[in-house]
Amino acid sequence: MLQYIHPLALYAACGIGAIGVCIALPRREGKNPQILGAVIASLAGAVVLISMGLAAGGFFGAGLSPSIYYYVFAFLALGASLRVITHPRPVYAALYFVLSILATAGLFLLLSAEFMAFALVIVYAGAILITYLFVIMLATQAPTEEMENALTEYDASAREPVVATAAGFVLLAVLSTLLFRGVQDLPHLKNNAGQSLLAEMPRKIESGLRASGKLPEGGKVITNEKGEATIDFAARSVQVKTAGGETVSVQLPADMAVSNVEMVGFNLLRDHPGSIEIAGVILLMAMLGAVVLSRKQVQLDEDAKERHAKSLAAEFAQGAETNP
Amino acid sequence: MNTVWTLAQAGYPAALPEATLAHYLFVSAAMFVIGLIGFLTRRNLIIMFLCTELMFQAAGIALVSFSRFHMNMTGQSFVIFIVTVAAAEAAMALALVVLLFRKRESLDAEEWTELKG
Repeated sequence: MLQYIHPLALYAACGIGAIGVCIALPRREGKNPQILGAVIASLAGAVVLISMGLAAGGFFGAGLSPSIYYYVFAFLALGASLRVITHPRPVYAALYFVLSILATAGLFLLLSAEFMAFALVIVYAGAILITYLFVIMLATQAPTEEMENALTEYDASAREPVVATAAGFVLLAVLSTLLFRGVQDLPHLKNNAGQSLLAEMPRKIESGLRASGKLPEGGKVITNEKGEATIDFAARSVQVKTAGGETVSVQLPADMAVSNVEMVGFNLLRDHPGSIEIAGVILLMAMLGAVVLSRKQVQLDEDAKERHAKSLAAEFAQGAETNP
Repeated sequence: MNTVWTLAQAGYPAALPEATLAHYLFVSAAMFVIGLIGFLTRRNLIIMFLCTELMFQAAGIALVSFSRFHMNMTGQSFVIFIVTVAAAEAAMALALVVLLFRKRESLDAEEWTELKG
């Protein structure tokens, strides 16, 4: 059985990482040695990754290890996440969160989940983070003259840093022990990754064949009563009816495959249509809730309404006099 | 099954080996723990909600890498729902934060210790 990392090495790495994160967390007294903390924490991460790489038979794409881009994006994602929780200024924390989202999108691209990668960038970095930035800027006390760059007390100091990091890294040690052991017992399902969906897209096949010039003049892809094309997956060929009415077998182009977006789309809309409806309802409810919660309640009694109307009328009359 | 698999390999990369899956799962676990520590230690309400988003991200990485390992798209569909819930949560949480800020003129979570029950 393959051992990704020696248990003692894993626990030591978790301990070093905990010390690093604890040092990097903001605190009131003195200067924050945040760079030192980040270096210690990334050393701990490097120990785990190097040990896993040795077990996988190499680094940067050698053996079973992921490509060099994995290391780049993983370092960026974890480093930016660490900066999110250690940076004392909320705006910078939000911007580092954007960096961590972008690195995660990179990891998704490496996992050939293109749709999720771009959806993540659009929804998180584009929409959610803008909302966060707006609220951070709205809900901050205006700085006074003499302390323009001063931090508020609650941003400058962490609450229970030692206990929280210890609890967190104990969880990480347990999680990674179980992960590294459990991964090896996983059944490797040889799923066809939805490539058989190609049969359900006769028009895509037809346009692909036409583009590569393989479709006979006036030919049509034969479909059964369910609208599925007849594909021989082993020979990569499809049955086509020519203009003369005879059935021929045409070789598929080499690049003909079901893309990630098509697979996710089929899975989402055919297998989980009810969930999409519920997600829509959740979004609607969140919108209503946000509107109701953040509405400014102004109580006007009858007198106040009358006074307001009078002042508006006076303003209007004044405006009419000055701009005839 | 094997016959279909040939086409899959031609158009789509082969399934992830276990060792590579373990790499991705480690990033996911570490990111989750960083988010958890941030949620526990930071006192600014907005940063606390930012840390819950980090934890959502980590769950998303685990789901997508398992989806790739099993070549099953349901994992990726699930991440779409995670993003939906995260967006809804952000909208509600930020509205609450604005409401709380109006009451106390502060984002400190410890201003609200009477809520602990």
